[in-house]
Amino acid sequence: MVSLKSKSHFLRFYSWLPIIILFISVMNEFDLNYLRLNYFSFNFPFILIFFFTLKDFKNFDYFLVFLAGLVNDTVVGLPLGISSLSYVLICISTSYFRNITIRPNPIKDWFFFLFVISLINSINYSILTLFFSFNLILMNYLVNTFFTFIFYLIFVSLFKYYLRGLND
Amino acid sequence: MATSRDDFIIAIRSAFLKKSTQQKFSLLTLVFASIFIIVLSNFDFKVIRYLKIGINEVVYRSSFLVSIPENALKNTFIEVSDYTTFYGDYKKKSDELNKLRSKNISSEIIKFENKELKELINDYVSSSNKILAKIIVDHESPFLKSIIINKGSKDNIKIGTNIYDQSYLVGRVIEVNFKTSRVLLLSDLNSNVPVTIAPQNTQAIITGTGENYGIIKYIKDGLFDKFTDESIVYTSGTGAIFKSGIPIGKVIIDNSQLNKNLYVDFYSDFSQLKYVFAEVITQFEIEKPANESLAKDSKQNNPMKVKLKILEDEKKIIEDTNLKFKEENDSLKIKLNDLNQQISNFKNIISNQKDKISQFKTDKQEIEFLRLNLEHGHKCRKSFFNNRGFVVGTSEYKECVLSKGGKTNG
Repeated sequence: MVSLKSKSHFLRFYSWLPIIILFISVMNEFDLNYLRLNYFSFNFPFILIFFFTLKDFKNFDYFLVFLAGLVNDTVVGLPLGISSLSYVLICISTSYFRNITIRPNPIKDWFFFLFVISLINSINYSILTLFFSFNLILMNYLVNTFFTFIFYLIFVSLFKYYLRGLND
Repeated sequence: MATSRDDFIIAIRSAFLKKSTQQKFSLLTLVFASIFIIVLSNFDFKVIRYLKIGINEVVYRSSFLVSIPENALKNTFIEVSDYTTFYGDYKKKSDELNKLRSKNISSEIIKFENKELKELINDYVSSSNKILAKIIVDHESPFLKSIIINKGSKDNIKIGTNIYDQSYLVGRVIEVNFKTSRVLLLSDLNSNVPVTIAPQNTQAIITGTGENYGIIKYIKDGLFDKFTDESIVYTSGTGAIFKSGIPIGKVIIDNSQLNKNLYVDFYSDFSQLKYVFAEVITQFEIEKPANESLAKDSKQNNPMKVKLKILEDEKKIIEDTNLKFKEENDSLKIKLNDLNQQISNFKNIISNQKDKISQFKTDKQEIEFLRLNLEHGHKCRKSFFNNRGFVVGTSEYKECVLSKGGKTNG
């Protein structure tokens, strides 16, 4: 009985793991910046949100994603709401992509991801420079987009292991 | 064609509005909520400000806790790389320490002189108290260079408070919460610091580049050749955003590009910061008599009024001095007149005495003539028996008497 109860707790925790990781990553800015490689950076939350909303994962609540965006803005020091808008736009893109896709293809997903993050980073850059007069380096955004695109494949394979574990 | 457009519209509408059983809000609602928050956060309403401070406090603390494992990993990585260069660093730093100790003495003297001069000029003394602050969030974002420290309005931190690593400037506070603050680092693209480049004594602005160095801007083209790699950059204090005289870094000259560029290598390594000092400045009025102090209270905050007051005081002193000189001048004139009068009197006395002396001489000559006349007059007087004599009363007669009758006609 006790064993069953602890197992259900673990399962519950395991099913909420993506959203927990999302919150940890936005609070921690997990992006290996301390390696101090020139221009190197990637956006882990983008990959996580894109993958799990594309899979329509049941515990990946849009409202929690929205809150994660607010937390990210607070930690990074961006105007409140910018990251929330970006994350929600990813959710909209994946929802649209899911609706129009009949036969899912990982390569198509990957390139659609590139399109989505390029669009969202452009919107981000435009809002910050035009409305908030931030000085930003466009090259940083381009490199960030590129590495996020590259790292997508690595993280997706890890997430698939996670989903397989959940199904088992 | 029309069917594919309908499919697109249906897919979009579904994406925006369709809410699955697990979701509490539709995506369209969340988009509007995001835009609403972006717009609202731009207005400086009191409620929003407090709400933001509350969110910041909670998120910064949570972020600090969540970052502990990654920070531990990061610190281990840094420590391992530090150990490899440990001995070389130790030798270099002990040499630097010896040099700095000798420099510290002269710097203490300059500080003291500076304080004295400020007392003379401003009527108040700025007392700066550096408080130690721990960095609780430092994510080295590629876009924005800022850190969060564990001191806030509770510890008298204000927007614009200067932040130091030892004695080197690292940035300034741009957001203050109750127990935490956000510091914009000098390396951030949005950071602009007015500086002086020594020993050339040139004014410039340093802008962050997003890396661990800054770029020097707004210098005349002709001045570029003056700088050397030994030139030092410190804050000029222009604009009163940063205190003057805080060291920032050394000049690096980049000749590799067509246009010569000047960079600043910051003394402080922003990626290695663990603790910083926040300078809390308090101003103390110099003690004055009670009545003056009351009169000055209202003027204390306005530097123009203080300057006017100083000028008025100076004017009053000059007027008093002039009056004193005038009085002295008048009294000297009176004295001069008295002395002139005395001189005139003395001159009169002398003149009288001279007259008397002259009269005495004349009388003496007359007496001598009369005496000689009695004795020798008969020899000089013309008479029946003395044809060679002279008529009495003539000058020849007188001359003859004075020469005791030796001078006669013939």
